[in-house]
Amino acid sequence: MNNAQMSARVGLFFLIGVALLWITYEALNGGSLSHKKGYSVTASFATLKELKPGDDVRQAGVKIGSVESTRLADRRAEAVLLIDEKSLIAKDATASIAMAGMLGGGYISLDFGTPAAGTVEAGGQLRTKESADINTLMADLGDLTGDIKGAISGISKVTGSANGEGGLFQKLDKLVTDNSANLTQTVDNLQTITTEIRSGKGTIGKLINDPTAHDQLIAALAEIRTAAGEARTFVADTSGIVAQVKSGKGAIGALLYDDATAENLRLTVSNFRDLSTKLNSGQGTLGKLLSDDTLYKDAQGVIKKADRALDGMSDQGPISAVGIAANALF
Amino acid sequence: MKRIFHDTCDGIGSGVLLAYRAFASLPTAPRILKRVVEQAYLGSYTTLPIVVILSFFIGAVLALQTGITMAGMSMQGYIGTIVGESLTRELGPVMVAIMLAGRVGSAITAELASMKVYQEVDALVTMNIPPERFLVLPRLLAVLLFMPLLTMVGIVVGWLGGAVVCHYVQIINIAPEIYFRSLQSFLTPTDLTHGLLKGEIFGFVIILTACNTGLRTTGGPREIGAAVTRSVVLSLILILVLDYFITKVLA
Repeated sequence: MNNAQMSARVGLFFLIGVALLWITYEALNGGSLSHKKGYSVTASFATLKELKPGDDVRQAGVKIGSVESTRLADRRAEAVLLIDEKSLIAKDATASIAMAGMLGGGYISLDFGTPAAGTVEAGGQLRTKESADINTLMADLGDLTGDIKGAISGISKVTGSANGEGGLFQKLDKLVTDNSANLTQTVDNLQTITTEIRSGKGTIGKLINDPTAHDQLIAALAEIRTAAGEARTFVADTSGIVAQVKSGKGAIGALLYDDATAENLRLTVSNFRDLSTKLNSGQGTLGKLLSDDTLYKDAQGVIKKADRALDGMSDQGPISAVGIAANALF
Repeated sequence: MKRIFHDTCDGIGSGVLLAYRAFASLPTAPRILKRVVEQAYLGSYTTLPIVVILSFFIGAVLALQTGITMAGMSMQGYIGTIVGESLTRELGPVMVAIMLAGRVGSAITAELASMKVYQEVDALVTMNIPPERFLVLPRLLAVLLFMPLLTMVGIVVGWLGGAVVCHYVQIINIAPEIYFRSLQSFLTPTDLTHGLLKGEIFGFVIILTACNTGLRTTGGPREIGAAVTRSVVLSLILILVLDYFITKVLA
């Protein structure tokens, strides 16, 4: 083998080896062979958790870039993100660290924000939001477990006989045991009642089972409905009358709302009062007639005299009649 | 006991001295470029097929073995992570280094040992050509150049082997996309750098051990064979012992 051939083979090996080396490093650095196509923005978090260079930056789940590097700055953890040229991030889009799986691995999740807010420039800062990671969740879960334990022990205190005086269930048990005879009786009665109802006995039974009762009930209801309709008509009429009265029409209306009539009425009443006063005090003919008993005594005397005269007349009645008649003839 | 201790210290000392002397003549490197290329050819291009075959099946059996276990737990999605991580950080470099020790290290030891036994090295020294510069430095430079690339090939072929197994074995049945996605999501460039650094250290130590053992051979043809055996065994021990400490340092 000559030297040139040997050199060529060694060269081939080195070319392949270096290419492989480069490809692998690039693949591990973020999965794309092209380098630095895009722009950088920074996102500052309290903690980056499991985020490492090469992890994805996703907007609504779609990969738009990758984490270029991580660093500490001003007591915060900062991730420098390399975003694809085509992807524009709204200024009010929020970045948070999401977990790719249970066993770790994270990515930066971005939401859309509003397009009107403008886009983040190269080298700009993203708005960020801290999100709970699995450790925080586990800690919360631990607290929750403690709470549940407390609640369950509370329940068992209520139900069990922790302090020897019997819990809720024991009391309930005692109650049921003591009253079991009564309860059985009650249940029996209930059974009897339901049986009777089913067989159509009794008022409720008939109501449920007898069609005539039902028909009657329906008829009664119809009557009640008619009555209600009439009542409604009546009320409507009444309200019509009231309206008329209000508007001053008719006698009552005039009485209630016409001032002239009212004045007349008042005058009449006062005249009437004067009259009755006079009558009472015995003034005038009628008053004397009512109040002065001399007239009565006189009248009584007259009547007595008339009575006597009549009696006399009745004794000599036929004679007188003949005399009169004779007087008339002669 | 004392003899073993003495031999160990002697071996380490002569190795360090050999490396020092070789790199002391580094300014003359352009003059030995042709020899570097030759050694790179022997070390990388001719080793490539066996590295590919071995790595492919290492990755495949790793995926199969973890796959059977993981399928029982319904966690096949993480096979890529396990195969990728273990191949990159551990098995890739170690397997390539073992191949190198068996295939290149033994050849170097045999060559240098016979040169030493047949006094060719002495002839070089007589001609004022330091054997460290003429024989050792090209090999060390070559291995430093090609070892990361050979390790990389081994790792990637191992990944592919795992992917093939995951795709075609019925009980695992993971699409290559999912396999590589889970591999990529957990593997960092640092992991790869650590793996390649490991391979580099292994390669350097193997070649240095091979050269040192070869150049320290004395006696006749029988010692040549003994030297090759010793070189390979020593290389394997050094690989695994160093592997532990490098992992500890890098972790």
